[in-house]
Amino acid sequence: MCKTCGCALPAATDQNRAMHSVGPFRAINVIQDILAVNDRTAAHNRTHFDEHGVLAINVMSSPGAGKTALLEATILALKSRLRIAVIEGDLETENDANRIRACGVPAIQITTGTACHLDASLVHQALHDMPLDGIDLLFIENVGNLVCPAGFDLGQHLNVTLLSVTEGDDKPAKYPVIFRASDLVVLSKTDLLAVLEDFDPTRAATCLRNLGLETPMIHTAARRVPSIGAWIDWLMAALEHRRAPRSAVFNGVTAHQDA
Amino acid sequence: MRAAKRGRVVHELSVCQALLSQVGEIARAQGAAAVEQITIELGPLCGTEPRLLWNAFSAMRCGVAANAELRIEHCPVRIQCLQCEARTETRPNRLVCGRCGGWRTRVIAGDELRLLKVEMRMPLASSQNAVAASSEEQCNYV
Repeated sequence: MCKTCGCALPAATDQNRAMHSVGPFRAINVIQDILAVNDRTAAHNRTHFDEHGVLAINVMSSPGAGKTALLEATILALKSRLRIAVIEGDLETENDANRIRACGVPAIQITTGTACHLDASLVHQALHDMPLDGIDLLFIENVGNLVCPAGFDLGQHLNVTLLSVTEGDDKPAKYPVIFRASDLVVLSKTDLLAVLEDFDPTRAATCLRNLGLETPMIHTAARRVPSIGAWIDWLMAALEHRRAPRSAVFNGVTAHQDA
Repeated sequence: MRAAKRGRVVHELSVCQALLSQVGEIARAQGAAAVEQITIELGPLCGTEPRLLWNAFSAMRCGVAANAELRIEHCPVRIQCLQCEARTETRPNRLVCGRCGGWRTRVIAGDELRLLKVEMRMPLASSQNAVAASSEEQCNYV
């Protein structure tokens, strides 16, 4: 702040403007993405993943949609076949990382404090503690939030957004930005559909279509008797695609282009 | 202000921090005395709320941009139909063709979050040293 004229006011006044406006005027036209620095760090993270042959998946949803529960069920289903690790993003606590560790795979907890989303630099810091050499599949569980995480590339290859059937089926219409960024929508807790009359999966699919999206939507239930077959199939196809990346199209959706 | 200085409470603060940092780099490269106006373009599909970004900017502007004003150009959402090729304007959660109703469309505008223009005052030749000193004042973002 300027220490001499007291110009640190909510709005620039004519007086302090005049005091500063002494020299010639200059205008510079630029066309520059405001999040370019984050995007560069994200590209750097992606390079790390690619060099180590890791498929990185950013998992997003509102709080309580079942991200950690889905990851627990996924790890139990796949850990004999794949080396899995998880980066957990939460405002506070190591609880989710502890749940993942209890499944027998490495987890790093990023506690963001008051922050509402992960960004590429937070993930980059976490990568320093994660031996990528021994990993095939890395999940980045973002902070539970359907707004803020959408704008920040972390370096992931694919975005997955969960929509639990305990939420409204019109969420894609309410949060178009995050659903547009998704490569897959997972309808979670579908074992509850039988007792929840309000949620209509067809309406959720229509809301997605109204965003001009061909994004696939699959059903999962991760608790009691897990039913995650379609999700596991999608993951295996994504891994297969990463290993033979000649085709630019995955699951009808163009995969994240490598920087 | 502890939380605001961390820059991540709402993501608009992170965006504002990135914006001020870019503007600071440009102003430094130009040797500017003060940034007067910053123009950005923002589309409804970029995920940043213009009002919140403007509020964040009012609280966070500092250093060479301490008196800068933020001008936000709002971009409408425009899509092109992949079937009939019509280009139509629409709202953020209805990205279907305005002519044929087809849902296979491509967003051609409306997801921008870009810095467009930085307007600044250059120092008078006689006050160059004073300006150089003042632009080195403590600032967290610029």
